[in-house]
Amino acid sequence: MITVLLILHALCAVFMLGALTHQAMSAWWPPGPGPRSLFQSFRAVRGAAYTNTIVVLYVVTATLGSILYPTYRLAVRVVLEDLRFSAANGIFELKEHFVALGLGMLPAYWYYWKRPPGEGVAAQRVLTLILALIVWWAFLVGHVLNNIRGFGS
Amino acid sequence: MKVARAFPVFSAAFAAIYVICMDNNLALVSYFPRTHAWYWLTVTDLPKSAGPGMYWYGWLIVAALGAAALAALSLAVPARAMERVGAVSSWAVPTAAMLFLVVILRGWFIH
Repeated sequence: MITVLLILHALCAVFMLGALTHQAMSAWWPPGPGPRSLFQSFRAVRGAAYTNTIVVLYVVTATLGSILYPTYRLAVRVVLEDLRFSAANGIFELKEHFVALGLGMLPAYWYYWKRPPGEGVAAQRVLTLILALIVWWAFLVGHVLNNIRGFGS
Repeated sequence: MKVARAFPVFSAAFAAIYVICMDNNLALVSYFPRTHAWYWLTVTDLPKSAGPGMYWYGWLIVAALGAAALAALSLAVPARAMERVGAVSSWAVPTAAMLFLVVILRGWFIH
């Protein structure tokens, strides 16, 4: 059951990573007019259309993570402590707190993406960037820790 | 969008309250996964056999409740004034909170 939840958690994180990266790129680096390369097309999405999906994915992914967390606390963290992998525990501590702060940022993030065009653009861009950085950090840390402990071990 | 104008205040307050709770271990509930036991408030004095305690859920609940209360209060302030404060504090306070967390957790990385 835990393995199934872990895979679901990772899949939701992948979807969110893609959506947030598209949205952040479109907000910070919109493409100019004219023919578009693959990379320019990546940035050319309508960012506002992603907002509700990102909020739902973030909440679902964090909820799945919170269900998995006790298992991590007993089965992984203790092992990392025994192995003296202090930095590995540290990066997870940062992940847990950054994800919590990201949860709290979601209402403001949603609010500024739902404003009429041209209003609150700076806040919208910065909040999107911070959320994207949090999700990238959480995804990479989760992946590294899973590699250290070993899948299904 | 009338209630939604309090959302930036919620986000700023949530970040501030969360780091205060985390730094001082102020949790509304504590969870002990080895025994699957929940307790009100911060419990740290159980016997070793109870295993490690988890307070993250409790910090989240305190931050959410506190931020909701402050956001509700902010609705009493004129919208124009709150708009300016919220536009900056909604990202500046979480950013400061993240930097603060890096500093207080540096012990994991520096020996």
